[in-house]
Order: sequence, then C-alpha cells, then structure tokens
Amino acid sequence: MSVDWQSIGEIGTPIPALQRRIDQAAMVAYAGATWDWHRIHYDIEFAKSLGFSAPIVDGQVFGALMAECLQDWLGPQVWVRKLSFRFKTPVVAGATVRCEGETSQARDGEFDVDLRVVTVDDEGNVTTTAAVGEATVVRR
Amino acid sequence: MGETRTYVAPEPIGAAAFRYFSQAVGDDNPLYYDEDFARAAGYASVIAPPTLVCETNQYAGVPPNEFGYAGHDWGIHIDGTRLLRGGNSYEFFEPVKPSDVLTVTWKIVDVSERTSSSGSPLLIINSEAEYHNQDGHLLVRNQETLIIQPVGKAT
Repeated sequence: MSVDWQSIGEIGTPIPALQRRIDQAAMVAYAGATWDWHRIHYDIEFAKSLGFSAPIVDGQVFGALMAECLQDWLGPQVWVRKLSFRFKTPVVAGATVRCEGETSQARDGEFDVDLRVVTVDDEGNVTTTAAVGEATVVRR
Repeated sequence: MGETRTYVAPEPIGAAAFRYFSQAVGDDNPLYYDEDFARAAGYASVIAPPTLVCETNQYAGVPPNEFGYAGHDWGIHIDGTRLLRGGNSYEFFEPVKPSDVLTVTWKIVDVSERTSSSGSPLLIINSEAEYHNQDGHLLVRNQETLIIQPVGKAT
C-alpha cells in the first residue's frame, strides 16, 4: 500500500475509519491474549456490583484499534512513534465501535493525527465517545 | 512517590503472542504473523502489534488477585473505591521482536487529588513503565494514568 505523503500532510485530512463490534467472545480473547483475566471484562455479576450494566471492554482495545487504523492506512513503511489516549465513557460488551480521526499537524517526515473511538448504533450514528487520542507517525 | 517495581520476563515474548493478540483484536496486518511479509517490509522478523507490549501481563509472573487480575499492581486498596485507568501515552522506540526478553520497570511519577465533574473526590496516580530487551534497548515507554473513585458513580 502506498500513501501520498503530500496529501496526508494537509491538516484535516480524514483517516479511513475502522468499525468493529466488540462482543463478549472478542473480550475474552483479548483478556487471554494480554494475560489480563480481570473479572470486569467477562463476569456480569461482578460488573453489575460495580454499577455497570454489563462487562466492560478493556480500554486498551481502543489503543490497539487506533494503532491498527493508522497502520492499515499508512502501510508498513510508516512507524507509529507515539500514541496517547484518554478514556471518556466505559463501553460494555456487544457495542460497535468506530475509530476515526484526521491529521492535525505536519512536520518534515512526520505528522500528527487526532483520533477518536466512538460507539455507534445500528444506523452508524455516534452514541458515545469511548476514547480520544493523538498519534505521531513517521516514515521509516 | 518514586516507588519502582521491576519485572523480568522468564522467556522470550514469542511470535505466538503477536499472532494471538492480533487475532483477538481482529487486526489482520501480516507484519505481526507473516515472516516473509515482515522481512520484505525491512524488518528482521515479524514484529509485535505496537500496543501489545504495554498491555500484556505476560512478563509479570504474578498470581491473579481477588479480581482475577494477574499483572503489575501498586497494591493500593481503599475501601468503597474502585480503580480505573484514565488513559495511556505510549512512545514506540524500536519494534518488539519474538526473541525479545522483556525487563519492565514501573515507577510512580505523581499522585494528586481532584474533584470529578459530578463533585466526587478522585485520586489520580501517574505512573510510567519502560520496556527494555535483553540487549538493554529501550523499546517502549508507557505513561499510565490511574483513577481511584468512589463506587456508585458508574454510567
């Protein structure tokens, strides 16, 4: 995959969005893959005892989605140098999330991107903001 | 403040960990599982999905606590509260290879009190982890914000 570095250097260029449903099975797979077996990610009664309606998606999944979104867009010759994100609203099992964003600043050989992970309904309308972040990507 | 914990992984992280993580996330980028693709892209081998190393407890070797959590933990328990992660800030210096044996050092950088928008008290802990391999290369730095809040304020 090749990307026109000039065009993405323009501030406000949207990045191709990545949408995915995160069901309980995906959450269990992520818990296993990260050796993180905290009950909050799969135990309904435990989640309810903390005031949630269902198990909570591990927030770092959204960081993984942001990295995937960038790497899919830019291809293997680009390196994600920095990635920061802050959690806004907890996301429960079964939600569909979408990672989206746009370029915010360009420098020589690198640029910054603003990113968001939102939850969406069946029509694709945004329902909550799960996390907001920013990244710096560089050419290898 | 200033407290540190160091963990040394008992074995190399391994290519299977990369494939497991990417499959669990749903990320089909061949950099993480296809040796030929990764070499063609200029890497020495497959590389780890970038956030994996910051997320896994594979290196820690600690038993699960009462919540099932088996990773690094500062051992802070305050009755009537719960711990949430506020966010992370990662810096990726070098790709993580299957042969890397991680040494991970966590430290507490800052502790502060805040009041949430709904008026409840919050304790904010800023911590930082550095991930080195067996050759002493700094691979990744992870700054993590932890929030301790009273139970019953969930959405």
